[in-house]
Amino acid sequence: MTETTVNEIERMVVTRIFDAPRELVWKAWTDPKYVMQWWGPKGFTSPVCKMDFRVGGKFLCCMRMPDGQEFWNAGEYHEIVPQEKIVSSMYFSDSKGNKIEPAQLGIEHEAIDGAYDVTIFEDLGNDRTKLTFIGNEPMESAKNSGQMEGWNQILDKVAAVVTKLAQAK
Amino acid sequence: MIERLSHGPASVHGLTEPFALSQQMISKHIAYLVRARIVIKTKRGRESVCTLRPEAIKTVRDWAFSYRRFWEESFDKLEVVVNRMKKEEGRDDRNHGERNRADGRHKNF
Repeated sequence: MTETTVNEIERMVVTRIFDAPRELVWKAWTDPKYVMQWWGPKGFTSPVCKMDFRVGGKFLCCMRMPDGQEFWNAGEYHEIVPQEKIVSSMYFSDSKGNKIEPAQLGIEHEAIDGAYDVTIFEDLGNDRTKLTFIGNEPMESAKNSGQMEGWNQILDKVAAVVTKLAQAK
Repeated sequence: MIERLSHGPASVHGLTEPFALSQQMISKHIAYLVRARIVIKTKRGRESVCTLRPEAIKTVRDWAFSYRRFWEESFDKLEVVVNRMKKEEGRDDRNHGERNRADGRHKNF
């Protein structure tokens, strides 16, 4: 599972360990019924999510802000290894799935040419799963947004919640 | 362009000047911003004047959309979904028919 090489630009990577078996995390990630429940940042809802989950298939998801403003993302699946890996692309689109430039939405997103998003599902044993999302954005660009500190705080909070859940069992 | 408009309203002509683009290209870009509800376009005589929609700019800025934030916060929500699924699966083993009811809950959003 070497999806990066040393001379490649360091990518934005988000990882999370779930206290759940891998098939469950895979299901939550690949079934639109569940994707609609988590797609989009905090406070956003996802009223529409269509996924043609197969190689060459496309997806179209909408996220809605509390004030009603909607943002659409579309993309394509390039490689699927069941319960292990998904290689896909994603871009901002209109509600029909036609690509639009993020700048037109007032959003900055520096993508790496010809690169894809890679999602990796690892079984850690004991019904724990590590999810790794390697995004099509240089790490530097994510760092420059000055939000790294914020993410660390969020992850601390999440870790606390997971610990509590594990203890409650 | 948003940077330019943040200094105050400007005519389409005035917005074209600082960019090495045709007025047609600029108009197309403005149309996107209008459609995204970021810019308001009004007629003043023969000129079209563009103004930033203050609420839109506030939301874009407050949100400070970053790709990283999108995924981190989606993961937070995914965690909630996975935990709920785990509970449902446990419950389904004993009691079928609970799944749909649990799916309808969105209190975490």
